[in-house]
Amino acid sequence: MDILTVGNLRKSYPGFELKNVTFSLEEGYIMGFIGRNGAGKTTTLKSILNLVHPEGGQVMMGGLDFKDNELDCKQLLGWVSGAADYYPKKKLGTVVAVVRRFYENWDDGVFSGYLKRFKLDPNKKIDELSNGMRVKFALALALSHRARLFILDEPTSGLDPVSRDDLLEVFQSLVEDGERSVLFSTHIISDLEKCADLITYIKDGAVIASTELPEFVNAYRLVRGTERQLSSDALKNRIIGVRKYAYGMEGLIKTDDIPSGCEAQIMPADLESIMIHIEKE
Amino acid sequence: MLKLLYKEFRLASHPTSFIFLALGAMLLIPAYPYFVVFFYTCLGIFFVFLAARENHDTVFTVSLPVRKRDVVKARVFMVVIIELAQLVIAVPFALLGAAINPNAEGNAVGIEANPAFFGLTLVMLALFNIIFIPTFYKTAYKVGKAFAAAVIPLGLYIILAEGIVRFVPALKTTLDTTDAAYLPVQLIVLAAGAVIFAAGNIAAFRLAAARFDKVDL
Repeated sequence: MDILTVGNLRKSYPGFELKNVTFSLEEGYIMGFIGRNGAGKTTTLKSILNLVHPEGGQVMMGGLDFKDNELDCKQLLGWVSGAADYYPKKKLGTVVAVVRRFYENWDDGVFSGYLKRFKLDPNKKIDELSNGMRVKFALALALSHRARLFILDEPTSGLDPVSRDDLLEVFQSLVEDGERSVLFSTHIISDLEKCADLITYIKDGAVIASTELPEFVNAYRLVRGTERQLSSDALKNRIIGVRKYAYGMEGLIKTDDIPSGCEAQIMPADLESIMIHIEKE
Repeated sequence: MLKLLYKEFRLASHPTSFIFLALGAMLLIPAYPYFVVFFYTCLGIFFVFLAARENHDTVFTVSLPVRKRDVVKARVFMVVIIELAQLVIAVPFALLGAAINPNAEGNAVGIEANPAFFGLTLVMLALFNIIFIPTFYKTAYKVGKAFAAAVIPLGLYIILAEGIVRFVPALKTTLDTTDAAYLPVQLIVLAAGAVIFAAGNIAAFRLAAARFDKVDL
């Protein structure tokens, strides 16, 4: 069952537009939401949560229309914006004392368990936590009210590689039982390679792919060759984001578009090169 | 609603508001423009909004399972509680001041701290709330602009209220005095102030909630 379905989400600002953003996330999966800075990741996530007002489209969460059932949907939801930087001078215990009242399924026992697991001290102030620990605190809050969908906006940005890896492991453990799902935005490719089952790629406000990660990577190949080879009639209209590299020219091509008898060298593409070439286009 | 109000006092409130409540004691000062005490109340409320903004309260609160209009309602309730607390704390000092220094001739620099003064104060607070709160919720972050927009009319109101009582002889006699003979008319002013305060806050909430609903966070 889909825990989240986003259909034709539209929002326009001067100089930027979300163009019919559509994707869905099944229970038990981790979806990475990628795109470069300014591509519309945060606007999409905020539109999903009605923090900004989309001009059109529909968001279904746990089978309910978000707009009509906002309070019920939020009971299912754990939302972490950036590094959870609210009330930095308050103790974790004080924030919890407030937050717990808002959730029907809040469980103090579960919360104590996650405090121990994440090594969080309720007597510490929020600004005494590292960015990674703040995200863990936000996750502990969401887990304690039995959230089923975790939406995180760039939770790993600003974290050192070890903390990032640690957090990604937590994401993986969240979805292990197949009942919870994670949607997190990032522009850090290695995050996706480590833990995402699915990716949704947004460019200039439009989703250009929303699929399983291996399928997405497999849909592209790198093409390397001379300038003449890459500008041949067979390739020039199919190649994406041509750029120079140390030994010639390099571009990206959709696997299905590779012409037969192609002179240029065709190689498997990794996620980073796919992103670089697509963004260069 | 109670949950949100708990959040307001546990997280969003700023100590200044509570410290300023002690300024009710300024009603003991003989011959003083007593509206100043309640100007500090407004300043304390400004600090609450300012601190809440700096602590990213809006996004934190809206992320909880609450309606946006209830977020505004809780804040308005908090403001009203602070203002009424200031008023209630000020009353014994007003009574004590009148007992120590019975001043039937009137206050040399402003209206006496009597029921009429409290009525005019309620109108002043209503004026502040109806400008400050909806102006803030137009953006949910421009708190300085909202305060400036509210505090200028507030100053003009104080000058007008003090001026009319001072220069209209009938009002000077009846309102600027602690003489019990004029208590009934002063209580009418207090009642009118209470009605305006209640209506003003309802209007402030409705306007602010409608504006906040449209804000993209």
